[in-house]
Amino acid sequence: MTSFFDVLLGGVFHASVLFLVAAGLQLVFGVQRIVNLACGSFYALGAYFGITAVNWSTAHGAPAWSFLPVLVLSGVLLGAIGPVIERLLRTVYKRDEAFQLLLTFALVLMFQDVLRFFWGATPQQLGNLSMSYGKLAIGEVSFPTYNVLVMAASIAIAVSLGLFLQRTRYGRILRATAENREMAEALGADVRGIYASVFTLGTVLGTVGGALVVPTAAASLDMPVELVVEAFAVVVIGGLGSMRGAVAGALVVGLTRALAISFYAELEVLAIYVIVIAVLIARPAGLFGKPVE
Amino acid sequence: MSALPKRSALVAFVALAVAVLAVLPHLAEPYYVTLVLPAFAYAIALLGFNLLFGTTGLLSFGHALFVAIGAYSTAVLTSKMGVKSFEAIVLVSGVVAVLAAVPVALLSVRYVRIFFGILTLAFGMLFHSFLFKFYDLTGGDTGIRVLRPTLLGMPFAELDKTAFLIGPFYYACLLLLVLLGLAMWRVVHSPFGLQLVAIRENPRKAEYLGVRVRLFRFLAFLISAFYCAVGGAILAINTGQADPELAYWTHSGELVFMTVLGGFASFFGPLVGAFAFIFLKSELMGATQYWRFFLGATLALIVIGFPRGLMGVASDLWRKACRA
Amino acid sequence: MNTQRRKILQGIGATGAVLAAQPYLSFPAIAQNKPLRIGIISPKAGVAGTIGECGLRGTMFAVDRINAAGGIAGRKVELIVEEETNPKDSIERLRKLVLQDKVDCVQGIVSSGVSLAMGAVAEEMKALLIFWDGTTQDGVKETMPNPRYVFRSTDNECEAVMGSLLAIKHWKGQFATIAGINPDYSYGRNNFAAFQALLKKFGVEHKVVADQWPKVGTLDLTSHVAALKAAKPDLVFSSLLFADLPVFMKTAHGAGLMDGKTKFVFPAAGFQHTLLKKEFTPEGMLFGHNTLYFNLDNPTPLQKAFVQEYEAKYKDYPHWEADRAYFAMQVYKAGVETAYKAKNAWPGTEDVINAMEGLKVDSLGGPGQMRKDHIAEQTFYQGMTTHKNRYDFATISDVTKMYSDQLQKPAGADFWKWIETAQIKL
Repeated sequence: MTSFFDVLLGGVFHASVLFLVAAGLQLVFGVQRIVNLACGSFYALGAYFGITAVNWSTAHGAPAWSFLPVLVLSGVLLGAIGPVIERLLRTVYKRDEAFQLLLTFALVLMFQDVLRFFWGATPQQLGNLSMSYGKLAIGEVSFPTYNVLVMAASIAIAVSLGLFLQRTRYGRILRATAENREMAEALGADVRGIYASVFTLGTVLGTVGGALVVPTAAASLDMPVELVVEAFAVVVIGGLGSMRGAVAGALVVGLTRALAISFYAELEVLAIYVIVIAVLIARPAGLFGKPVE
Repeated sequence: MSALPKRSALVAFVALAVAVLAVLPHLAEPYYVTLVLPAFAYAIALLGFNLLFGTTGLLSFGHALFVAIGAYSTAVLTSKMGVKSFEAIVLVSGVVAVLAAVPVALLSVRYVRIFFGILTLAFGMLFHSFLFKFYDLTGGDTGIRVLRPTLLGMPFAELDKTAFLIGPFYYACLLLLVLLGLAMWRVVHSPFGLQLVAIRENPRKAEYLGVRVRLFRFLAFLISAFYCAVGGAILAINTGQADPELAYWTHSGELVFMTVLGGFASFFGPLVGAFAFIFLKSELMGATQYWRFFLGATLALIVIGFPRGLMGVASDLWRKACRA
Repeated sequence: MNTQRRKILQGIGATGAVLAAQPYLSFPAIAQNKPLRIGIISPKAGVAGTIGECGLRGTMFAVDRINAAGGIAGRKVELIVEEETNPKDSIERLRKLVLQDKVDCVQGIVSSGVSLAMGAVAEEMKALLIFWDGTTQDGVKETMPNPRYVFRSTDNECEAVMGSLLAIKHWKGQFATIAGINPDYSYGRNNFAAFQALLKKFGVEHKVVADQWPKVGTLDLTSHVAALKAAKPDLVFSSLLFADLPVFMKTAHGAGLMDGKTKFVFPAAGFQHTLLKKEFTPEGMLFGHNTLYFNLDNPTPLQKAFVQEYEAKYKDYPHWEADRAYFAMQVYKAGVETAYKAKNAWPGTEDVINAMEGLKVDSLGGPGQMRKDHIAEQTFYQGMTTHKNRYDFATISDVTKMYSDQLQKPAGADFWKWIETAQIKL
């Protein structure tokens, strides 16, 4: 039974990080209709920069326990590239969506070398910092406290995003812009500003996801292209453009992977594709997506 | 569509290009001649890809899947089943790809635009994982060997591989490119092709007018798969090995890159794009270790500044020259 | 940074000293002025980027020394570096190096898939190619049955064989259940299969209770570790060797898998050894460092100089890829010089190949040799992890040294049959 819990928690942890990246994707797609292939690049950037930030702060005397807030902060700081990239994408807004997708692919290529230029080819890691918070033990199940904190942070972000989108005025404007851009613009919404903020928020979600995952993992050069596949599986299963879909999709992918690893290890990656296809056949728009033409 | 010069001028231009390609092996350095082979392969693949993208308006980010199927079919045929005839290999690879494309197309053409792109990306990666996982069948990460084919039954055993590649095989591929190019020209300019354009421009209207949108998209998808597989077969013979990285999504991205580089709105765009990309990539890889950055920057430049690609630039210059 | 792609060292020309040392001059002096061009193909990005980087550093160390001493048979070495990516593109780079740059020799390659494809092409092009690494068991028989122009490194599974033998030697009778967590590709599969074959050969009763195959380079191993823990194995065999290895170590340590009850065998831990920090890498695990262990008690002067220079220049400690690269360069150098002396004129490729067969060289890690069947013999190092060192990562003590003639199949043999039938000593 304890092993089952271990497995479950492992799956939920993976889902928590996936959710952050997927939420970024969903937000940007929902409002701007752009699918950002560079979401994995932002994630990797968050991971690498997070390591640099923590090393820097430790070298300047910060206590060991501060690495979590430092990571989150560094992820948020990276949001500064959001407006820059958005400005670049803005040049192709009026064009076919294919161009936007292609521009993000160009970013993927460029980012690969940017990461290598600044951080080199050797994988980077944060040593054993993730154990600084010790372990949480409930009965025989023991889990690093850090992982639990990450899951909690992810849930908190999900809830805040939900509240933000549903309850606040700006959130409602965002949703209106997502529904009908022209109308929202006609009604006075500052669409340009909204696009910039939304893209920045989407970027931050990705970079924070990468920063949060790096203590338990490592930053490696193949992260950008590898993550895209899982993120897209999440989005397809959950439904493109839906926040609830991001949560559902992430949980499905995370848990499927965990269960496959425990019970039939060979299946691991293929299991997720099987689910993707099954969802598509049963519910073409994904679990929470809007039906497409 | 960009303004095309008169038909006779077009024919003359194509004839000139073919003539240049035909004498290239005798003029250019051997290395650059070996580079033309992947250019041929991608030119053929992109002819098919652009039927789906440029003509029908569906952007797939997973067509490397069919290139890989073509490569693996070639590998299995030559090294596991003893089939060496190039003609048979091309045909069988194409057919296998079409068969594989049926379920993928059935699932994917229900969607359009971005979702279509994401879905095709997922399918491409599914095949990539499959190639790794079933390593007894597929050779896993090391792939499957591809043996030299015979051309019209002739093995050319007296030639070493390089001489074979830049000699008889080169001409076989050039011929294949011309034939498949002609076929695609007919397809694009047929009623079928015009209906595909209508579907791209306004699907709902096309539906109203009686065009069977889903069926035609489906057919365009199948044709594109055939062409990509033929391209994959040529690539595999050139490399000598079929490996899983051919199916990775960034390879699909390169297909799109080449098409847009050449100009997706023009029939010849993808062909120009294939050649331009192959040489650009090779020169960049030789010039700097950060070639991915410059390749990405080139793509960004094209997308932002020259969306109609090289053919768009060329036709603009032609128009200016005509006016002058 | 310091990996300039082209023309690392220009040939300057034969010096009078060189001419004086070679009394039997009967060839034009012009030939002596031209540099010797060597093409290097190694990965720079992706999961193997760090490995290619270390290898290239080994090559540059070799070339710096060679050129400082006057070059290879008087000709300075000029490197042309290309990137290894996938088989299709890497072969294009090979063709460029051979057809366009007209290099005299190509060295490099880390990936098995690329090595198989490239070996066949090099043979057909009659281009001298010396692999650093790559080539696991499958596929070699078909693509390179009797290589003439291609020289291969040791079998990929030498470290697995050595790790298995040491595990049996130290821990026979102390484990009944085993688990494997290996990267899902030919290297991982063959390593674990070799381990099991050796256990069977030496009559070690064992039951496989868990069998994990994470995707190469996976950075989230929480579920895998949870599954391993649930299976409660007595011994875990893992040939994880990329960024996934330190991630596994951390995760396993965090999950309590390293509380001392389970034994661990890591045949290829050396690639990421500096990332295996003491906090989460306990003592008493079997680590393999392949052909270079940087912290030997009595290193050769060559190794000592190399490690010191590496540490000063790169603020890091080298692993075995540097040794593979150095070995390739040394074998080539020795081959050319031997053939040159024998012929009294600049040797052709065939002469160099004949000279290289059977040649013994001293590499960074220890003595080695190129067999007549074009497969290398080298010295392998494995040992038990220890924290008694001046670094923040685990190193090994009780280092066992084995020469690969005890670890790899002889010429012409099949690997699996060899394991079954050969006299392998513990």
